[in-house]
Amino acid sequence: MSCRGIQKLLQGAGSGPAAWSRTPAASCCCRLRSGPCRALSGPGSGAGPGSGSGSMNVFNREMKRRQKNWAAVLQDGHQYDYLREEVGSRVADRVYDIARSFPLALDMGGGKSYIAEHLSKEVVQRLVLTDVSQQALKLGRRSEIPTRSVVADEEFLPFRENSFHLVVSSFSLHWINDLPRVLSEIHRVLKPDGVFIGAMAGGDTLYELRCSLQLAQSEREGGFSPHVSPYTAVTDLGNLLGRARFNMLTVDVDDVQVHYPGIMELMTDLQGMGESNCAWNRRSMLHRDTMLAAAAVYKEMYGNPDGSVPATFQILYMIGWKPHESQAKPARRGSATVSFRDLAKVSRPDSADQS
Amino acid sequence: MSGSNVWSRSRERLRRFPELLAQCADEAAVYGKCVAATTTGKQELKKDVCAKEFEALKTCFTNAAKKKTR
Repeated sequence: MSCRGIQKLLQGAGSGPAAWSRTPAASCCCRLRSGPCRALSGPGSGAGPGSGSGSMNVFNREMKRRQKNWAAVLQDGHQYDYLREEVGSRVADRVYDIARSFPLALDMGGGKSYIAEHLSKEVVQRLVLTDVSQQALKLGRRSEIPTRSVVADEEFLPFRENSFHLVVSSFSLHWINDLPRVLSEIHRVLKPDGVFIGAMAGGDTLYELRCSLQLAQSEREGGFSPHVSPYTAVTDLGNLLGRARFNMLTVDVDDVQVHYPGIMELMTDLQGMGESNCAWNRRSMLHRDTMLAAAAVYKEMYGNPDGSVPATFQILYMIGWKPHESQAKPARRGSATVSFRDLAKVSRPDSADQS
Repeated sequence: MSGSNVWSRSRERLRRFPELLAQCADEAAVYGKCVAATTTGKQELKKDVCAKEFEALKTCFTNAAKKKTR
């Protein structure tokens, strides 16, 4: 989400090939000894028939992997964790809201795992944690649930279908290239009557940053280029989940506003979180005049009375279930037993039920 | 990479940005108001619409940077 400015620290410093392979990379690193090893790797899904629209390529996934690796090994990286912790705890709340126990759960794009620490063994018995970044998995946080970490891209889950009772994803879906495909992958690996709970940045996230940069760049350079990555709108999310054949959808929006001393601190924090922009269409240069102008515009247009500036993160939470016979279905047409005409006759709240 | 290189040096310079900007709060506010006015008023945002205000801000900023260097 952040522009990298003059700091080209993450530009390929001779690190591995930028070629992005389409076979799932699954290397298993055991973190806690978790009893008998269940073979979860099924046939790779990379060769499946293309679903829906042609493959979109908005984000450079290789770059995102490097950014996450870099952020994970930062010396004082824990100071940037606040947003992920917040989102992780809210996703864990939603898991608790479901009065069930899940023998096997998957945390996609979990990085250092911000959800498991809130969950207890009664709710989730075993957890599989995936992320593109190996460093983040290695330096992950402890939780009481036996966890197995797998380095895998969210777009190519190396798991057999119908394996998980619960799939969670916190704050990583906004970097996915082909979201419809990922949602159908999640649908595939879920057991029938399994649930998917996800949280992603959407819609209006960082609109203040985007607008300030746009105005400053227009005034200083005569045009502007995108510096903040594109997000999914709330309205599209319901359609996407429906297309992936999820049932009983719930989508809600949460606005988290964080106050920063200025634009530079905001951008540094975004970088430290591993949320730097990795869209292909980003410009790698931000002129220092534009930076100065953007800082002034941000403070003037959005600043608080006490001198700080707000940054909005609009988090979209989604819950979807894999269809199963036990789930409630809409009633058949013509099966009504009471008519709306009788509504007027209802005088006391505990009399006939309205249907 | 370890040691001093162009990236670590430029990162160091960039780190001083907020404190230098804090010394030019007035000029920054004037420039910000000028740009914000173009979003609501009839005047469209074109290149260098607020060039004068920006020059004032930039001079203040570079002076602050010169003063603080050892």
